[in-house]
Amino acid sequence: MFRNNYDNDSVTFSPQGRIFQVEYALEAIKQGSAAVGLRSKTHVALVALKRNAEELGSYQKKIIPIDKHLGVALAGLSPDARVLSNFMRQQSMASRLLYKRPVPVARVVNAIADKAQVNTQHYGKRPYGVGLLIAGVDETGPHLWEFQPSGQILEYFGAAIGARSQSARTYLERSFESFPDVSRDELVLHGLKALRDTLQQDRELTTENTSIAIVGIGEDLKQYDGPRVKRFLDLLGEDGTRSQRAARLDTAMDVGGGADDDDDELAGLLGPGEGTSAMDTTE
Amino acid sequence: MTSIGTGYDLSNSVFSPDGRNFQVEYAQKAVENGPTTIGLRCKDGIILACEKLITSKLLVPGSNKRISTIDRHIGIATSGLVPDGKHFTNRAREEAISWRRNFKDSVPVASLADRMGSYAQAYTLYSSVRPFGITAILGGADDDGPALYMIEPSGMYWGYFGAATGKGRQAAKSEIEKLNPTELTLLQGVKEAARIIYVAHDDNKDKEFEIEMTWVTKDSKSATAAATGGKGMVWNGWVHEDVPKELLEEASKEAKKALEEDDEDEGETKEEKMDEDL
Repeated sequence: MFRNNYDNDSVTFSPQGRIFQVEYALEAIKQGSAAVGLRSKTHVALVALKRNAEELGSYQKKIIPIDKHLGVALAGLSPDARVLSNFMRQQSMASRLLYKRPVPVARVVNAIADKAQVNTQHYGKRPYGVGLLIAGVDETGPHLWEFQPSGQILEYFGAAIGARSQSARTYLERSFESFPDVSRDELVLHGLKALRDTLQQDRELTTENTSIAIVGIGEDLKQYDGPRVKRFLDLLGEDGTRSQRAARLDTAMDVGGGADDDDDELAGLLGPGEGTSAMDTTE
Repeated sequence: MTSIGTGYDLSNSVFSPDGRNFQVEYAQKAVENGPTTIGLRCKDGIILACEKLITSKLLVPGSNKRISTIDRHIGIATSGLVPDGKHFTNRAREEAISWRRNFKDSVPVASLADRMGSYAQAYTLYSSVRPFGITAILGGADDDGPALYMIEPSGMYWGYFGAATGKGRQAAKSEIEKLNPTELTLLQGVKEAARIIYVAHDDNKDKEFEIEMTWVTKDSKSATAAATGGKGMVWNGWVHEDVPKELLEEASKEAKKALEEDDEDEGETKEEKMDEDL
């Protein structure tokens, strides 16, 4: 990736009709650790991998509750996610005040999408550097949406964002057809298995680095962190390490240059020093 | 594009020495890779159709719509940058509402096209913004009957009997030109639109796709239409809505079959086939 004349701001089209600043913002998502979302007929679950800056440091939070029926998982710049989630909370409260009902999931997702689009069309603004998975339940049932800095929103049965998330997507694509009828615990378990596939060889899911949230029809959003995650990790059983298949996939990717192995690529782009400071806010 | 802009293409609202605005031309480029989208003006209504590539099987089918309703009697389909299309659609809805508030009437399609053309044009005037990376096909009906317009990033808009934009626009255009819009009915139009989307689809390069199709009709059978036009609502009787599912499925099936037969015997001339279809 090299600098060009057309990537300085988000109000300049390249001759091919691309907006590079928006594409770079999409890259920022891949700098963050992975988050996975999936839904059944009755529930939506979010699972995410938390990162700590240093061994003894605390873990950056990955899941933000919005309302009783709504929560988001993030990958990318967490301050940007906080701006968006605060906005979503406002929308949510406004709905309860005005209409005496929880805000429909699609409505609030559309609201942040429209907000993000403006940032890609005006000089002096920058696109948000964060991707979100929004899980929520409304009159029309459980929903899972993905939000991107471009202002693109998509509804999914299962989705994964963040570093090495391609492995998780591969898992989801293989098994999503069974999701509609699985139980609450099984849904989380599928999420954990997908998340486990994104791990590097020497890492494993622990009570420290795993965050879970689940919301269902007639059931408020509940978040699990720390020791309360243990029950789900125990369900996962065996070892917390990645499946054999993912390991094989990984070696194959290393040989082929790696479609999703982009950690080094952008760090190089940021130049010395800057790479690390940018990483500090990227979770 | 003959040459790229040697310094005159880095900012919006700047003319090159030969009088071009490169950023607007580049915005048009963004559309040229968008999904094939068409509009047909029939005798008794409007059809909007769009080829939706399925980029992942994890996506919820039928979700993530590309065609929206502006007012009861007007629909819009956009091709190009999806978020820009959403912004444009929202603005069109605001215009339609403001027209109602001011004039106690539903907005004529020509007037809405004019206002949206001006809105797009405003985004070519300033270096602080960029043009919309979309073309919008606006279809609706008013006192003068069905009307169809296509708005470009420059703000330019024309009225059409048949409009096509996006990746497969050339193939789609040449198919549309074979139709007779003064005789075409909505029901025939649905089949033609499905066929055109199939023809324009490049199955060597592209993945699987689904067709999204809506129409503007005077005799809707849907429950929404029956519930429309309540107290105080000025409404001209036309409805923009999804083409009934069974109808769309049937049209898609026929289009697929026609295309397969076409592939089998290349000897048969296209004109003969057209006559059979009509």
